Amino acid sequence: MKKTHCSGQTLIALALALALVVFPFIVSSPVTRNLMILIFLYAGLAQAWNIVGGFAGQVSLGNAIFFAVGGYTSTLLLQHAALSPWVGAIAGAMLAMILALVVGWPVFRLGGHYFAIATIAIGEIALALMANWEAVGGARGLTIPFVRDSSGRPADTWVWFQFNQNKLPYYFIALALMFTLAGLTAWLDRNKPGFYFRAIKNDQDAARSLGVNVLRYKLLAFVLSAAFTALLGTLYAQYLLFIDPESTLALRLSVLIALVAILGGVGTVWGPILGSFVLIPLGELSRAHLGGSGRAVDLIIYGALIVLISVFQPAGLMGLGRRLRGK
Amino acid sequence: MALLEIRGLTKTFGGLTAIDDVSFRVEEAEIVGLIGPNGAGKTTVFNCVSGFYEPTRGRLHFAGHEITGWAPHRVCRLDMARTFQIVRTFSDLSVLENVMVGAFLRTGNRAQAERAARHVLELMGLAAKAEMRGGSLTIAEKKRLEMARALATKPRLLMLDEVMAGLNPAERQAAVELVRQVRAEGITILMVEHVMEVIMPISDRIVVLNYGRKIAEGRPETIARDDQVIAAYLGEKYRGRH
Repeated sequence: MKKTHCSGQTLIALALALALVVFPFIVSSPVTRNLMILIFLYAGLAQAWNIVGGFAGQVSLGNAIFFAVGGYTSTLLLQHAALSPWVGAIAGAMLAMILALVVGWPVFRLGGHYFAIATIAIGEIALALMANWEAVGGARGLTIPFVRDSSGRPADTWVWFQFNQNKLPYYFIALALMFTLAGLTAWLDRNKPGFYFRAIKNDQDAARSLGVNVLRYKLLAFVLSAAFTALLGTLYAQYLLFIDPESTLALRLSVLIALVAILGGVGTVWGPILGSFVLIPLGELSRAHLGGSGRAVDLIIYGALIVLISVFQPAGLMGLGRRLRGK
Repeated sequence: MALLEIRGLTKTFGGLTAIDDVSFRVEEAEIVGLIGPNGAGKTTVFNCVSGFYEPTRGRLHFAGHEITGWAPHRVCRLDMARTFQIVRTFSDLSVLENVMVGAFLRTGNRAQAERAARHVLELMGLAAKAEMRGGSLTIAEKKRLEMARALATKPRLLMLDEVMAGLNPAERQAAVELVRQVRAEGITILMVEHVMEVIMPISDRIVVLNYGRKIAEGRPETIARDDQVIAAYLGEKYRGRH
């Protein structure tokens, strides 16, 4: 039973991959392309969050901090050391992992709700810090200058991770990251770390009694989550060629990341991707059609969704699918 | 050398002394029963031995190591496993997955863990329910699942905390059979129990606690005749009945 379920999933994954690879050649509108990139980005962020929040059950409401670490690290290394953002991305991921260890070590000893509160606090502290630290751009943020070709036009360059004429590579990089995370999640789902994460989520003490080093596995989940979130931060910085505290550290970003995963279905492989495909277009649409006050309206929608999901369908859209199939 | 040695174990919570200077041993391949009234400190002893509580005083030795104050997961790695008085099933995981969590202690390989888990499920008579969600089992099945899960860690000592509670007579018989089978596999058992009809027949030795102190220790027949034990716990109707 499980075997056919697995190859069925793989088939769907391949079909989806194929469809998404072909998609930009069929629909070439820049607006749609941008939307898709955002969907992949948020799917990736949600999948990374899912490892620690969905599987291990440790609800982080501060994952944005790793997003910022990634984006800022690669940008600062680029500005001050002329380091390629690809290298900067790795550096950012490593820094994020260290930060996750430093934060997680004391904070994971606190029970579930306290961990969530601690992550909110750390996120807010980071926002205040970065907004007031002039050396890293303060509230104005950092701009990445165009790399120009011989005729002075903004160029497409893989070395410097900028694609100004043809933005397609951003699309494929984001897509690749999303599928890498899906693959990692699927692997975790089937193997020891994933089993241990889920055991911790269900009952920490029972897990301990079976030999699970709970602190170590919580840290592992957090570190994995942080690393991938940071990589996505670099992608974001290179895509917009701009980064500032408000867009990378605000609490609403951390909440949105969690919400995408929760809406889609925590602890599942496809949930975060599904959640992103539903929520991000919704957010963009409300922003576009409800004009200047769109910013607040999408927050209202997020809030309403959180309430609806918690009350009616905690398992998210994936759970709804299971219910409809009569499981 | 005894497999488990408890010496002068004392645990206080603020002003309350839960257990006071408790000492006994469990030899390899024995079944030792730990009995006593509610609040006597039986589960406290379990929690101290398995690392969930840090003893206030006293020493614990297991399989040649001193384990006083060790964390639960470390103790488990030394081949000691326990069940809980109130079942702690991993509700969202399937029956098979529950047991696999235990099996993963001994292997990092998923296929191996699955094989080992299925084997234990067979032994425990739960194979038919392998794909069912853990949270959806009956209480008796959950208790068996918890035992299966603990067994999957391949312990030398299995500590059972009131596995018989809440079971009907037929389920109890089945559970007693299981305990016998487990011992036949070479696993030592320390069990806390309230159901005398169950624990007296299968135990090699009984340890009796009352108000945190050990008041008697010996073979079941001896215990059943012990005045102190009868006064504290068994009642006159039970005298010598076993």
